[in-house]
Amino acid sequence: MTFIRPMVILFGLVLIWQAIVLVTGVPAYILPGPINVAEAALSHTGPLFEHAMTTLLEIIAGLLIGTLLGALNALVMIASRSVKRWLLPVLVISQAIPVFALAPLLVLWLGYGMSSKIAMAVLIIFFPVTAAFYDGMRSTEPEWLELAQVMNAKPMAIIRHIRIPAALPAFASGLRVATAVAPIGAVVGEWVGSSKGLGFYMLHANARMQIDIMFAALSLLCIVSLTLYFLVDRAMIKIVYWQKEGNKKEESHL
Amino acid sequence: MNNSVKKDARFERRPVAPSVTLEQVSFAYSGEQIFSSLNFTVKGGQWTCLIGPSGCGKSTLLRLISGTLREGLSGRIHFSDGSSHKGLTAWMSQKDLLLPWLSVEENVCLGARLRGEMTAQKRSKAMSLLEDAGLGEYANALPSSLSGGIRQRVALLRTLMEERSVILMDEPFSALDALTRLKLQDLAARLVEGATVLMVTHDPLEALRLGHRIYVMTDRPAKVSDALIPPGCPPRNPGDSAIISMQATLLKRLEGRDNS
Amino acid sequence: MKHKCLIVFFIVAALMAGGPNTSAASEKITVVLDWFINPDHGPLFVALEKGFFSRQGLDVSFQVPSNPNDPPKLVAAKNADIAVSYQPQHYIHVDQGLPLVRIATLVATPLNTLVVLADSDIKNIAQLKGKTVGYSIGGFETVILKVMLESQGLSLDTVKLVNVNFSLSPSLFSKSTDAVIGAFRNFELNQMDIEGRPGRAFYVEEYGIPSYDELILVARRDDVKALKFRKFVDALEEGAQFLVNHPDESWRLFIRGRKDLDNQLNRLAWQHTLPRFALRPGALDRARYQRFAKFLKKNGLINKIPQLDQYAVELPIAHP
Repeated sequence: MTFIRPMVILFGLVLIWQAIVLVTGVPAYILPGPINVAEAALSHTGPLFEHAMTTLLEIIAGLLIGTLLGALNALVMIASRSVKRWLLPVLVISQAIPVFALAPLLVLWLGYGMSSKIAMAVLIIFFPVTAAFYDGMRSTEPEWLELAQVMNAKPMAIIRHIRIPAALPAFASGLRVATAVAPIGAVVGEWVGSSKGLGFYMLHANARMQIDIMFAALSLLCIVSLTLYFLVDRAMIKIVYWQKEGNKKEESHL
Repeated sequence: MNNSVKKDARFERRPVAPSVTLEQVSFAYSGEQIFSSLNFTVKGGQWTCLIGPSGCGKSTLLRLISGTLREGLSGRIHFSDGSSHKGLTAWMSQKDLLLPWLSVEENVCLGARLRGEMTAQKRSKAMSLLEDAGLGEYANALPSSLSGGIRQRVALLRTLMEERSVILMDEPFSALDALTRLKLQDLAARLVEGATVLMVTHDPLEALRLGHRIYVMTDRPAKVSDALIPPGCPPRNPGDSAIISMQATLLKRLEGRDNS
Repeated sequence: MKHKCLIVFFIVAALMAGGPNTSAASEKITVVLDWFINPDHGPLFVALEKGFFSRQGLDVSFQVPSNPNDPPKLVAAKNADIAVSYQPQHYIHVDQGLPLVRIATLVATPLNTLVVLADSDIKNIAQLKGKTVGYSIGGFETVILKVMLESQGLSLDTVKLVNVNFSLSPSLFSKSTDAVIGAFRNFELNQMDIEGRPGRAFYVEEYGIPSYDELILVARRDDVKALKFRKFVDALEEGAQFLVNHPDESWRLFIRGRKDLDNQLNRLAWQHTLPRFALRPGALDRARYQRFAKFLKKNGLINKIPQLDQYAVELPIAHP
């Protein structure tokens, strides 16, 4: 597990950022330099941490619920072709509606607490998870299914012992996408109506023209998202343990 | 082969494995009439090889017997002991079909696992099969770490683990190199003794080594030749002069020159 | 010969028809509004439509921001000349280093209001105890609420604050909040009337907030010496004056070419905003602005009280 390369890249980006600020002389209320942002972060660690915890909770809850619902939905569609025929178009249409447009409705229905943010995250990740898992199960090696048929396996056993494990690599891809995207749902939900969270805190700082604090909150959000992605990525490697050698090597993305 | 006595006690087979008879079987697929009123019998307890040019319907025939192809079939396929083919056949393909997330031992037990019949007994049966075939050290390995030859050996053991009286094989050794192929042919011949085997192959030498009877399938709709019965017991010596001359006969039949 | 005359005639006619306001040197001014065009911008659009700007040799264009926090930043970054801003927020911007000064006032009274449903049992501020108050993030609302509550002997933590973004009246209707702050009295109250669920208003300046100008115009500190700003304020003054004298015609000018503004809400809001426009847009009440600065510093919204001429000026006369 090497962290050196990402650290070097990060450091390089920060240097470039500071250089841009120095060279262009852009004022702090438009683009603060990394040093300003670091100072703001250090003098506001208390609220930053508190709000980060709220947003993190929303993201994790959204991921868990969305993944569970997405997986169940894919299983139902695989198990029953007639259900799938009705469900799949509904799924595709639902994906065409930008979640941002639904955000105010969700806040109206679920209130200003965490549930509306969790619901946003769930909505955003539901389709990637269910589509990836369903596609994975659908494209199971047909000769495996044929072998199972000859072996007299019951349909549920085929799904449980063959389709699901065979679909895990695809599911893992879907889950990686979901992890990258869930924070967006949580933050947008916070923008629309909330009293806590990094999205809310960023709005607040922006309204008071405290752009350095806003960037500090933004940076913290990035760190939270990256850490989450890293953890999920590693977990997926463990879950899809059999893809270690050959041309399907499961490489960590980081 | 001193193991054969032990083996028969371990695997409770029916006294004589059943024969498989196709009666007036017709089958069409995407507008092509593959079989038209075909009559064909696979003799019980013997190893039958079916050889023929690609695409003439050999694999289709196997699938009709295994039951995986049903739509569009007319005529009768029946087993001499009266049972239907459901649950009576074992299948081995050219691909090893080992599930990559299961260990070798778990793959051997795949049938039991899928039917919900896993027991400790089954597991120890699988282990002894593996050890007997010299694969005991790989029991916990994942398929991706093994060579093609070992994987196909495991597939063979999985097929035998099913303890079916009728074994269907679709070019099971064609993807292996010549030496490995010979070794696996020997292993298979040793282990399936007593079952009814129908093997599709495109290698005349393989058919001659392994088959009690050899049929050539040609034309569209497919026609099956008379049986060719090589002398001696399988697995036969490839260097045997009788085998070599029969190879020439087989090739002629394949080309359609010898119409006997 | 006849054809040549005709051609010359048409060319001259075309030149003369090409724009009645193409005077010798027309200076461009971009004004970024605070929000979508609404009756609060009355004097600006009256001045535009009556040609008061072009009479001063100004070519004024108005921009609507994508984000209400942008206008001051755009002017500070020299992407626009003038921004419509809010007096309370202006101190915060200056405190954070934006080099802006107020050059004129658009709306000379506060518009911010605490609103409850008329049929709710909250009849005075003290009854807010234990209730939920919704707000839009502007940076200022918690202070308003704190001061209003303190005027009745309550502290801020006796109420639950919830950010409802801009859905102020919907949150009242759905009962997810008991009261909202950040509603503009000329707007939200009319909107609630139209929906058939009227509100009850508590005016912030009546509960301890020093009076202030809700809408002001700001420009870059270094640029205000330019003559065009003086001319702009003069034209704006003419617009405000015309509005007072001809309110109905002014409404027609406001919606001219902007048919989507002609709706019931705007018509009602127009009537309620009329008395609140600054009659003397260029005038600066120094003590009033300094009083508000002290108020903000006392409540922790700014770090230091700036020198008045650094953030608010009366532009000098054009030709002394």
